[in-house]
Amino acid sequence: MAQFTIPDRISTKEMRYQMGYALADLANEYPNIVAVDADLRSSSGLHIFEHFHPDKLIKVGIAEQNMIAVSAGLSQEGFIPFPCTFDAFSRRFLDQLYVTVAYSNLNVKVLGAYVGLFTGKAGATHQSDKELGILLRIPRLNVIEPGSNDEMRQALRCAAETPGPFYIRIVRCEVEDHEAPEGFKFRLGKGVTVVNNGTDAGIITSGFMVRTARIAAEKLFKKGIKVRIDHHPSLKPFDKELLFDMVSKVPVIVTAENHCISGGLFSIVAENLALEGIQKPTGAIGTDPEDFIHTGHVNDLLARYKMTSDDIVNKVNSLIRKRI
Amino acid sequence: MDHSSFWKPTRSDTRNYREVFPHRGDYEKLIMNTELMAYLIRSYSVWSMTSAALGHPGGSFSEAEILSVMYNHVLRYDPGDPGWPHRDVFYLSKCHACPGLYSALALAGYFPLHDLATYGSWGSHLESHPDSLKTPGIEISGGSLGQIPGVAVGRALGIRKKGPDHYDRMVYVLMGDGECNEGSVWEAFMAAGHYQLDNLVFIIDNNKVQAKGFVNTDMSVEPLAGKLSAFKITPWEVNNGHNVAELIDLFNTLHTQRRGKPNAVILNTIKGKGISETQLNPNWHTSAPREIGAAQNWLRELWENEGKRLGVPEKFHIELGRSISINPPLSHNPDEIVEKQA
Repeated sequence: MAQFTIPDRISTKEMRYQMGYALADLANEYPNIVAVDADLRSSSGLHIFEHFHPDKLIKVGIAEQNMIAVSAGLSQEGFIPFPCTFDAFSRRFLDQLYVTVAYSNLNVKVLGAYVGLFTGKAGATHQSDKELGILLRIPRLNVIEPGSNDEMRQALRCAAETPGPFYIRIVRCEVEDHEAPEGFKFRLGKGVTVVNNGTDAGIITSGFMVRTARIAAEKLFKKGIKVRIDHHPSLKPFDKELLFDMVSKVPVIVTAENHCISGGLFSIVAENLALEGIQKPTGAIGTDPEDFIHTGHVNDLLARYKMTSDDIVNKVNSLIRKRI
Repeated sequence: MDHSSFWKPTRSDTRNYREVFPHRGDYEKLIMNTELMAYLIRSYSVWSMTSAALGHPGGSFSEAEILSVMYNHVLRYDPGDPGWPHRDVFYLSKCHACPGLYSALALAGYFPLHDLATYGSWGSHLESHPDSLKTPGIEISGGSLGQIPGVAVGRALGIRKKGPDHYDRMVYVLMGDGECNEGSVWEAFMAAGHYQLDNLVFIIDNNKVQAKGFVNTDMSVEPLAGKLSAFKITPWEVNNGHNVAELIDLFNTLHTQRRGKPNAVILNTIKGKGISETQLNPNWHTSAPREIGAAQNWLRELWENEGKRLGVPEKFHIELGRSISINPPLSHNPDEIVEKQA
């Protein structure tokens, strides 16, 4: 197996590899960018960064807590460190991130790789579907979950150019280059309407699930149901304005996230609606917060947690039917 | 064919430990039998990892001999009663190398051998990384490195705090050399030395390779023996961690003696041992063969290098290779998600 091969830049669609290229490009522009690796570089995509900038990849060994602490120190000397390990291992360095990085407002840009269900049969220990529960509650930390390679590239640039701590969730599998309309400009705290077929229902997505939601929107369109999809790559800060605009126009809402349905996107939406006193029939697509994810093929996982486009279609249909 | 015609566990009663010495008649038989078990651990690991299209061959192969010595000779356990309270405790801390442990547990009789072919499939009790609530014989769930050495300290401390009993139980924890990068490992070492836990043995599979490179160049852990000594742990260096006789001799000593300090065994091993393609090659830290033909070649190589010498019929590896089928997903996905391996 050639796990250390540098994949072709043009043909590869996996976000992890495009991330490696994007960060390498960005380091040409910003010479103070460094990447910090905890023995996962050819899985995370950082081996591509290392290929172009061998002197800018700092290896800390299998030591995730130290990876964040070392990054904190580097940032204090004016470097822009991008530490990267599996998102699941954020469970190991949460306190370093909370206290050392966020409390001190350091310029550290954490890349969480292999988010959600797409980890290649790695099981509960490597799957990360609960972490947003705390990441979204760390003061000062900006949390971004891009759904396409274009969004990912823009998010990396935003992180490099905006002072302060960032957490960017990077998916492992293939994604589209663009999900948002042409000319989309990523801005921190802003979402984007990616499908605007009509107002029969609203679908709110983050990260990878925008792709699934778009497939679902096409299926619904063929059945005569016209939906709007708002995509929120910026989870923290969150675009409340766009959320309230959607809820003022659609009768039912479904959220779709590559995370469990507690603590992440659904919770953000539910909290905001409750605080505004808005009652709206709502459905949530995502994993089960009471479940350790079992090992299995991604098809079996998506079937278990009802996270395919067919499941979104069914959820939208049942919410609409309930209202009639 | 399965292995029952040419191999069965040495002990008929694994609840008992019996010291062995080279001058006694059955010593050679024990060595051959344990080598055979190591051969079987590797072969069945290839079988299960290929069926799963998943797994970590490198670490599973470097630990084959220590696992066979543990389950064939050292540990006191009862596969029919995994919770038997007088058992010795064996933890695998480098949990990604569980295909090797699963094979050892199946050979020891904890669950049917055929379960190995379901590894990593939806609904299987053999998770990608071990789940102690699902798999009999697994002492604790894991898969995030560096946590279980501390658990072993707590277990050894707990056994000691309960007071002496005539079983005088031991706790063993098998960990990786790269794993020693984790700070929590050193917290465990510190606590073990502090509490003088002489019923605890850290076993370090010093195979020199980690996921993405070599331990020496990524983050060196040397001088390991000197560091362990400084942490008030007695280091034992095994020159050839694949030499079953050397392992049996050392564990004879460690299992039966108490010296007032915890012990650490540094096994000088070869990552991916047994298959030329995988030996000392980080490319094969993870990734099982993706083609059945490749797996059959691995099984042949294992047989030619070891099996043949140990009297395993050639038919065994040929039939094992023929019986491999890669487990398909159970569900259809309408959205065609592309997840590439490696």
